[in-house]
Amino acid sequence: MSTTLDLPTIGNRADAVVTPRRRGFWHNLWRVLRRKPTRMAGAFVVVVFVVIGIIGPWLYPANLPTDSNLILSGPSLAHPLGTDFQGADVLALLVTGTRYVLVAAALAALLTVVLGAAIGLYAGYRRGLADSSLMRITDFVLTIPGFPLLLVLSTVWKFGSALQMGLVLGITGWGGLARSVRSQTLSLRERGFVEAARGLGLSTPHVIRRELLPNIAPYVAMNLLIGVTTFIYSQVGLFYLGVLPFKAENWGVMIFLAVNNGVTQTGSGLFYLLAPLLSILLLTLAVVLLVDAMDEVFNPRLRED
Amino acid sequence: MTMTAGSGDPLVTAAVVGGGPSVQIRDLTVAYRIAGRDMAAVAGIDLELPPGSITGLVGESGSGKSTLALALLGAVQKPGRITTGSIEIDGVGDVVTLAPKAVRKARGAQIGYVFQAAQNSLNPLKTVGRQLLDLAKSHDVDDKQSLVRQAKSLLERMGLDAGRMLDAYQHELSGGMRQRVGIMFALVLNAHLLVLDEPTTALDMISQANILSIIRDVSTDRALTTLVVTHDIGVVAEVSERIAVMYGGRLVEQGPTTQVLRDPKHPYTRGLIRAIPRLHGDPALAQALPGRPPTLGTTPETGCVFRERCDVFARLQLPACVETDPRPTPIDGDRLVSCHAVASEHQQADREARA
Amino acid sequence: MPKAVRQLAGHLLRGLVMVWIVTTFTFVLVHEMPGNPVQAQYESLIEKGFSPDAASRQVAVTYGFVPHGSLWSQYGHYLSRLLHFDLGKSVSAQGVSVAKEVASAAKWTIGLVLAGVVLSFALGVVLGVVAAMRRNSRLGDGLSIAGSLLHGVPQYVMALVLVTLLTVKWPLFSTGDVNGLIQPGFNVAYIASIISHAVLPATAFALSSFGGYLLTMKSSVVSVLGDDFILAAELRGLSPGLVFRYISRNAILPLFTVLALSFGFMFGGAVFIESAFNYPGMGALLVSSIGQRDYSEMSGAFLLITVAVILANIVADLLYTVVDPRVRRASGT
Repeated sequence: MSTTLDLPTIGNRADAVVTPRRRGFWHNLWRVLRRKPTRMAGAFVVVVFVVIGIIGPWLYPANLPTDSNLILSGPSLAHPLGTDFQGADVLALLVTGTRYVLVAAALAALLTVVLGAAIGLYAGYRRGLADSSLMRITDFVLTIPGFPLLLVLSTVWKFGSALQMGLVLGITGWGGLARSVRSQTLSLRERGFVEAARGLGLSTPHVIRRELLPNIAPYVAMNLLIGVTTFIYSQVGLFYLGVLPFKAENWGVMIFLAVNNGVTQTGSGLFYLLAPLLSILLLTLAVVLLVDAMDEVFNPRLRED
Repeated sequence: MTMTAGSGDPLVTAAVVGGGPSVQIRDLTVAYRIAGRDMAAVAGIDLELPPGSITGLVGESGSGKSTLALALLGAVQKPGRITTGSIEIDGVGDVVTLAPKAVRKARGAQIGYVFQAAQNSLNPLKTVGRQLLDLAKSHDVDDKQSLVRQAKSLLERMGLDAGRMLDAYQHELSGGMRQRVGIMFALVLNAHLLVLDEPTTALDMISQANILSIIRDVSTDRALTTLVVTHDIGVVAEVSERIAVMYGGRLVEQGPTTQVLRDPKHPYTRGLIRAIPRLHGDPALAQALPGRPPTLGTTPETGCVFRERCDVFARLQLPACVETDPRPTPIDGDRLVSCHAVASEHQQADREARA
Repeated sequence: MPKAVRQLAGHLLRGLVMVWIVTTFTFVLVHEMPGNPVQAQYESLIEKGFSPDAASRQVAVTYGFVPHGSLWSQYGHYLSRLLHFDLGKSVSAQGVSVAKEVASAAKWTIGLVLAGVVLSFALGVVLGVVAAMRRNSRLGDGLSIAGSLLHGVPQYVMALVLVTLLTVKWPLFSTGDVNGLIQPGFNVAYIASIISHAVLPATAFALSSFGGYLLTMKSSVVSVLGDDFILAAELRGLSPGLVFRYISRNAILPLFTVLALSFGFMFGGAVFIESAFNYPGMGALLVSSIGQRDYSEMSGAFLLITVAVILANIVADLLYTVVDPRVRRASGT
């Protein structure tokens, strides 16, 4: 459109190159968050979950007390979210399960981002043989269906700790990011400033670190956030399918046991099932709102409206 | 190689047979509504395109020349709209007040438009031939065979392998080929008013010369009324009989091309011509116009829009230049210039002549 | 044409390499599994009074490789059986060949995934166009927000919410096991039972995956709307209907890339949806085989899911080649 209208002020598309602004990031984020109450709510929910994840397991005894008279009961004053099939408090289960869920997801997202960005940058910058062989590998990783692979892996790997879970999720999940980072690198490479840096004879690590990385960092940061939600789904899903040890404290174990104790058939103890499901939804919603805010921090163009 | 004559052809849909229509633009204002404020991209323009003539519309980017060209087809893009004025085209009517459907039908059929970025004016997923059939469908052309014949004769007339062109996708054509295919699309339904928006931009020198000679020949052969919109004064000098110079949404000067180029009156036109490097003589003589053209937001609201870059204003500091937007003043019979300084000079010369 | 053939051959070759990697992976996995299930079965057969020879043969029938000999000879044995489409015998369902079980499960899953993909693709495209056309209105905003939220909802959450709502509150559709009385195939009973059993799973599928298509379609339409050739078409006086077709056909192209990338995810998602609805597909088979430590069945199901994803990818790729002339008629490579 900009080429057909004589409107340089509104028609022209600002160059998408983002200059690094490390110093102002938190300041900008705060300003952007305050612009919409929904974003504040999102940030608040995320913070609450993180706090629960940190202190949750310390709030309750290692073995939760059970009350055999109150099995799959509805919400009450003593048990705000009801009880499970053994008579344990659902809220306590939810709170103690949060740490595993968040730690595994965060570790996986971090691994994905590091692996994906490194492989994508290297392949896109180097091109040639390194690129084609790395992308072949990426294609393979992408084609192998992720969940089924994790299921098969669960026969040898018991995912007892959140760190093990995060490690496996991260190692199997970097394909998509590597691919898009590569294509962004390929297009950045053609831009004047990268050409110029290469023309000046700067070393490859320097060009990647100082010229390319700052420009893909926003995209990678967004992926880190979105990755957290994705990995929450997959680990909770693995536990939900019941192929993993259900001694682990994870929301997925709650879902699995709720379904296996007939909650979906009879409807009694509905909160036992709904609590983890709604927690996932709430956390997802919060992250979506936060991503919206991040989008604005990284894309100054969106700020004008 | 003569063109099949328009008359007697089943495809003639233009009401004016055998010659281009005349076009009268009166007091046309096109405003863009930005942040609740109307800003004029084209302000109170009067322009006449004589039937069968080629007019060159020149200006820097942002001068409003493309907006004016789009207005001719009733296609001003949002958030812009025509706020005042009329565009009377013979055989079509007033484009400003015409029903949208009638305007749509007139596009392509009576008014041909050759796109600025001819590079991308075709649907990348369809062959040229398929898009020709889409055009037929949209304009209720029943005789598709004769339309294809017409298209082929136009393409061959422009020196292309017509069969190959109709079978090609956009990505298989070179820039010059695309531009010629664009001209074919504009004329295949026998439009007699042809608007070309930057027809030579982004073409190499050889293709430019080619396209210009095609424009000239086709316009003469079909007696088209043609408007060539460009930032390149060389293009105008090459093809057009009349020239209209735009600056900041205003027509600052218009008249016969040779007169205007030989003896430019408006300080902007003078600056523009001074800025052209010559092949003969000293290239260093070319002088860039100081300052930058105004944008919608920076156009002065009162007075002459050009005064900030104007050497005459810098010298004379006429109060009128700050107070009122100069209106076009007729000079030397056929020319119009919108400049307070030129107008007063002219009046004085007149008075002296009379005395 | 030779170019298309070469392309297809390339796809198939890469697919075969994939299959080889996956089979090797499962072979190593089963072989190196703690408590070596192959050895375990062999020993239990010996205890039951089988001769070493007979026990060995029995184990080979189950797992596709003999429990003795070097790793390489076992591997070779395993691969040669696979080449004959022999996936071994199920341990849990005694005597039934894994190939047969997996094939019958595949029919259910393919029906489900196909219905889900078609539904979500159509829903995403249509709503994406609406969201783009009305992008400055409340409707457009609402659609975009709904899209990104639903895009974020995991399939099993959607499935479980639907199951709870519809089987507990309003028992309309059957979600129990499809009984073995109906023969899968192209007969009325099968199609009818697929419909009654697959409506909910397919709905869950579509609801949880159309959001991504909606968002992609929306941004794609918005970018095509800004393309020069759309304005050029309008200035040529093309009818609004045709202009709309120009926009939508061009905008839909990027969705094929998304589609191709999401098949792995979809067949993975099928695992969750199938087990939430007790739907007898490959995913459910995979989960139950792991639960029952039926490793030959597990390898078979995993292999077939991988093959399905590879085939789906090839189809999506070929489809893309058909719709985009720039790819189809590109010269050179």
